[in-house]
Amino acid sequence: MNRLCDSMEPRVMDDDMLKLAVGEQGPQEEAGQLAKQEGILFKDVLSLQLDFQNILRIDNLWQFENLRKLQLDNNIIEKIEGLENLTHLVWLDLSFNNIETIEGLDTLVNLEDLSLFNNRISKIDSLDALVKLQVLSLGNNQIDNMMNIIYLRRFKCLRTLSLSGNPISEAEDYKMFICAYLPDLVYLDFRRIDDHTKELAEAKHQYSIDELKHQENLMQVRLEDEQARQEELEKHKTAFVEHLNGSFLFDSMYAEDSEGNKLSYLPGVSELLEAYKDKFVIICVNIFEYGLKQQEKRKIELDTFSECVHEAIQENQEQGKRKIAQFEEKHLSSLSAIREESELPNVEKKILECSADISELFNELMMLEMQLVEQLEETINMFERNIVDMVGLFIENVQSLMAQCRDLENHHHEKLLEISLSTLEKIVMGDLDEDLPDDLRALFVNKDTIVNAVGASHDIHLLKIDNREGELVTRINSWCTRLVDKIHKDEIMRNRKRVKEINQYIDHMQSELDNLEYGDILD
Amino acid sequence: MEVLREKVEEEEEAEREEAAERAEWARTEKMMRPVEVRKEETTLTQEMLRDLEKKLSEIQIPISAELPAFTEDTIDISKLPVSYKTNTPKEEHLLQVADNFSRQYSHLCPDRVPLFLHPLNECEVPKFVSTTLRPTLMPYPELYNWDSCAQFVSDFLTMVPLPDPLKPPSHLYSSTTVLKYQKGNCFDFSTLLCSMLIGSGYDAYCVNGYGSLDLCHMDLTREVCPLTVKPKETIKREEKVLPKKYTIRPPRDLCSRFEQEQEVKKQQEIRAQEKQQLREEEERLMEAEKAKPDALHGLRVHSWVLVLSGKREVPENFFIDAFTGHSYSTQDERFLGIESLWNHKNYWINMQDCWNCCKDLIFDLGDPVRWEYMLLGTDKSQLSLTEEDDSGINDEDDVENLGKEDEDKSFDMPHSWVEQIEISPEAFETRCPNGKKVIQYKRAKLEKWAPYLNSNGLVSRLTTYEDLECTNILEIKEWYQNREDMLELKHINKTTDLKTDYFKPGHPQALRVHSYKSMQPEMDRVIEFYETARVDGLIKREETARTMTEYYRGRPDFLSYRHANFGPRVKKLTLSSAESNPRPIVKITERFFRNPAKPAEEDVAERVFLLAEERIQLRYHCRDDHITASKREFLRRTEVDSKGNKIIMTPDMCISFEVEPMEHTKKLLYQYEAMMHLKREEKLSRHQVWESELEVLEILKLREEEEAVHTLTISIYDTKRNEKSKEYREAMERVMHEEHLRQVETQLDYLAPFLAQLPPGEKLTRWQAVRLKDECLSDFKQRLINKANLIQARFEKETQELQKKQQWYQENQVTLTPEDEDLYLSYCSQAMFRIRILEQRLNRHKELAPLKYLALEEKLYKDPRLGELQKIFA
Repeated sequence: MNRLCDSMEPRVMDDDMLKLAVGEQGPQEEAGQLAKQEGILFKDVLSLQLDFQNILRIDNLWQFENLRKLQLDNNIIEKIEGLENLTHLVWLDLSFNNIETIEGLDTLVNLEDLSLFNNRISKIDSLDALVKLQVLSLGNNQIDNMMNIIYLRRFKCLRTLSLSGNPISEAEDYKMFICAYLPDLVYLDFRRIDDHTKELAEAKHQYSIDELKHQENLMQVRLEDEQARQEELEKHKTAFVEHLNGSFLFDSMYAEDSEGNKLSYLPGVSELLEAYKDKFVIICVNIFEYGLKQQEKRKIELDTFSECVHEAIQENQEQGKRKIAQFEEKHLSSLSAIREESELPNVEKKILECSADISELFNELMMLEMQLVEQLEETINMFERNIVDMVGLFIENVQSLMAQCRDLENHHHEKLLEISLSTLEKIVMGDLDEDLPDDLRALFVNKDTIVNAVGASHDIHLLKIDNREGELVTRINSWCTRLVDKIHKDEIMRNRKRVKEINQYIDHMQSELDNLEYGDILD
Repeated sequence: MEVLREKVEEEEEAEREEAAERAEWARTEKMMRPVEVRKEETTLTQEMLRDLEKKLSEIQIPISAELPAFTEDTIDISKLPVSYKTNTPKEEHLLQVADNFSRQYSHLCPDRVPLFLHPLNECEVPKFVSTTLRPTLMPYPELYNWDSCAQFVSDFLTMVPLPDPLKPPSHLYSSTTVLKYQKGNCFDFSTLLCSMLIGSGYDAYCVNGYGSLDLCHMDLTREVCPLTVKPKETIKREEKVLPKKYTIRPPRDLCSRFEQEQEVKKQQEIRAQEKQQLREEEERLMEAEKAKPDALHGLRVHSWVLVLSGKREVPENFFIDAFTGHSYSTQDERFLGIESLWNHKNYWINMQDCWNCCKDLIFDLGDPVRWEYMLLGTDKSQLSLTEEDDSGINDEDDVENLGKEDEDKSFDMPHSWVEQIEISPEAFETRCPNGKKVIQYKRAKLEKWAPYLNSNGLVSRLTTYEDLECTNILEIKEWYQNREDMLELKHINKTTDLKTDYFKPGHPQALRVHSYKSMQPEMDRVIEFYETARVDGLIKREETARTMTEYYRGRPDFLSYRHANFGPRVKKLTLSSAESNPRPIVKITERFFRNPAKPAEEDVAERVFLLAEERIQLRYHCRDDHITASKREFLRRTEVDSKGNKIIMTPDMCISFEVEPMEHTKKLLYQYEAMMHLKREEKLSRHQVWESELEVLEILKLREEEEAVHTLTISIYDTKRNEKSKEYREAMERVMHEEHLRQVETQLDYLAPFLAQLPPGEKLTRWQAVRLKDECLSDFKQRLINKANLIQARFEKETQELQKKQQWYQENQVTLTPEDEDLYLSYCSQAMFRIRILEQRLNRHKELAPLKYLALEEKLYKDPRLGELQKIFA
């Protein structure tokens, strides 16, 4: 980087520098005068040019929230940083700098044109967030691995790429390789790729590309599957019955239950366990299906409610608009009448009439709004009652189903205890035929031990069931309260906004009238 | 039928003898019939006319001696086929059967008028009515349905009233003759229509019955024109939406219900009064319009067509009046009674009482109690079983005692004697006789013309009048066809003087409707456009003297409306009168649709440029959840401050109301930029308005030109009218002809005259061949020279004449009148032209002659007959 400005001191991007640049590149002539008069806010700036400034470090750009185009070329920047806030950036020029790695671009999702020409980059990386990228200039860098090209396949919009001046461009296969692996590319190194080249390249690299495509497809399919599964789970979660459409709960009951697992080796227990599991799973599935059904019902209820509320609000707004339109028509004519009127008493009389009209409009609008508030309140209360009832019913039914689970568990526990005791007896008598695992045999020391073990297993199971039930109930309750709260809050917000809007409008009308009055008196 | 026959049997004995006698009489007298008939007729008709209430009890042969619609000598019967002039044995037999039937009928029903069975045809041959029907399916798809078919018949023929309105005609001509002369009475009309309807599959019948005066005289003056009847608006019944579960309750109604009721009552009273008045008015009008009572009501003979339900998806029976082509319900009170009806297979007599017009008639032709058939064994067995049971009632009835001979049983109708109905495409297109027809309706007159008959494409005109006497014109509607400017309908309202032109898609300026009072620009007018055909999406442009309003749709800039107010024209003192002097624009209002890509508070809904006040008003769209919209007003006055500097922008130059105040819009810079933008837009809008004005001028000019020229388009498939294709075709034919001539020429044998000198069939010797060749060549040479000489001679003659003329001119130059001089000059130029041509021809001949000679020589060498020559040279 032997440049003339090398001799200069590196400069810091301070306020003065930015102001100067903004001022110079801002509006010109008449508009410029105005701009100077009131100053330009950094956040209003859409394009900024900071080239040949000998900047070492990008800094102080956080205020330029709405910047679309930023030129930082021909500086001595070594690291890409401080661009996190410029999320609207579309055009970024960092050419002729000393950047070594691509980084710090993860928030620039709108970027379409990126130039990193003439830097010291050796690897194309960290560009994943730039989904809209169309133009990428990476010429005169130190990229030496062909595999970097494959990374660029993820940019579906990429049309222009320049890589000349890199070590890879020396390779004889360079052009063909890029054409083959980036089939949507239109311009390479500032030249249009003709169809013939494309065909040739495709033929040449067909085998490896097919393989690549296959892998990509596999990845895609896997990703989609995962997504679908996630969505399904999410859906179940909104119905509060996730993981109940199978043996998940049952399995989790035995997951942490070492005694239970040991006991399952007892003769006859495995059959028992199998039957128990089947029954248990059936109940779980019942809960699950019931939950989905209820969820559907709740959704329909909510939809009807929001639709009705929406209609009511729309209707009310239409009325309001009509009132305002009528008023404006009248108001305009009376204003012009006032302007034309020459007699002062008449003017005053008319102004009084006008302000009376305004206050009447205010009353009417407010009355409409109050009416709507009352109507909505009634409806909202009704909805609240209904949804709470629904949730209550759901909880009740789920609880009764869970009780069935508990009954099953109790029943199983009794059976298990029975078997265990009989086994203990057998062991004590010494006429046990089967071989028992050692750790299981260890339990059969005396009656207390075995009873405790079985009891512990039972307790764990019950606890699991209780936990699941508790979770469901708390979640649905909290959902319900949140929903109702949100509806109330929204309604309050809406009301406030409307009242504010009406007041604002009325104030404006009044002040306009006042101004007129004032102006008239001056005349 | 069984019942009938049983009853008949009793009387049969007594009757048989008589019947046989009559049959004998009929057979022997047949030759003399025409004479006989006429004699009888004259006396009978007078009698009938004298006392009609007292129906005749004698046998009558229903032939009228009055003059038929068109006299025989006008009809050229020489070209008609044999079947028209004679009867086949089968037909003879049928006529006997019919006579017999008729006799029995009149015997049994002495108080009824004789049957209309076998009138004479144009060749004075009696033909049975059913055989006059010739079912024909027409090759025109337009004639497949009954309504268009009936309309065609009514348009195509000219109505001729019956010679005697109280009797069926004596003659019933074949459809061939009727179509040829394009006129006929009601029987001719219905016969033709019935033939066509049966041909296209309808269950249609010719009816001989009685009609009202209007019907018989094709008098439509008491009918409302179908074109003026406005289609009834279908009342859309709004579906009551069930209130949803959470629909809000309506606010409490605080009005007094009692007061409302009182109000409603009052309203009802007023309405009732108004209704009463209206009704009275209507009654008065009806009274005025009502026809005068007809002295012969119920006796006027008429013929029409009955279509029975069942075939061609006809849902119920109806009548078609062949005169007008209108359909009527069988309940219609204009149809006063039915005597008999027939189709191509059978003949039925109505046995039902017609005291209540045709309202009580039941058209179940299989029911022998109601309909007496003539031929047994044909179809129609519709009689339902229930009706057979009440045979007891039939005893009281005195009409059904008809006898039937056994031989009738298996007799079926002979084939029609009429030729297939043919309508040439030209006649079909011309439709009305001479292509023109006028129908007088109640308060309306409809005129029809064949397409291309009028040079301006006029095909029909409907004139609506205010009064019954048709003196005050209310409005005129003119329909056009095949116009190059796509004009379809011209509507002139005489009371308001408003003219409205309707266009089909395809006008060069995409016009759809143009309504105006005068063709002068800057007057009241509304022009509607086919907006899809226009680039700017203009739908409608309304103009008054001071305003112009335009409506748009589907524009990328979402403009929907532009309204311009003009001020009075400023009088220019400059003399540049050729320059257009546009009116100054005072105000332009533009409205826009919502642009979904922009937020509502930045999307302008309406902008008003007050050009005179230098003020711009903006109104923005309203956000979905708001009821107020932002507004902004710019004052463009450029002022100078105290120091003399130009003020660029001050806060009071922009008054704005914002629903949601935003920071950046408060800035002067923003406002300045907005104002600059608006200034540019203002200029554009002003330009647009001017352009629209220009366009109106252009349209008016174009319309005037089109009205003046009114060229008609001719379809490329129309081989008759399409001049271009005709020319092309003729040219092709000419080329073909020339080609043919040339071929003939090439086949011309040069050697033939010389070979003829030699004995035929012998092979030529070498000497002969050489001689032949030489002779041929020398002959040809001589001919070429002769031709050259001929041209030369003519050339010289022309030149001499010219010289003479010139000499004469030189001598008499002084005394010549200018006309003579002109004559001389034109002669000179013509002569010069001729000389030049001759010269050219001579030169050309000189050039071509050696070539032609060589060509012939070569040809002779190659001629196989002179093969000897080749041998030597080979």
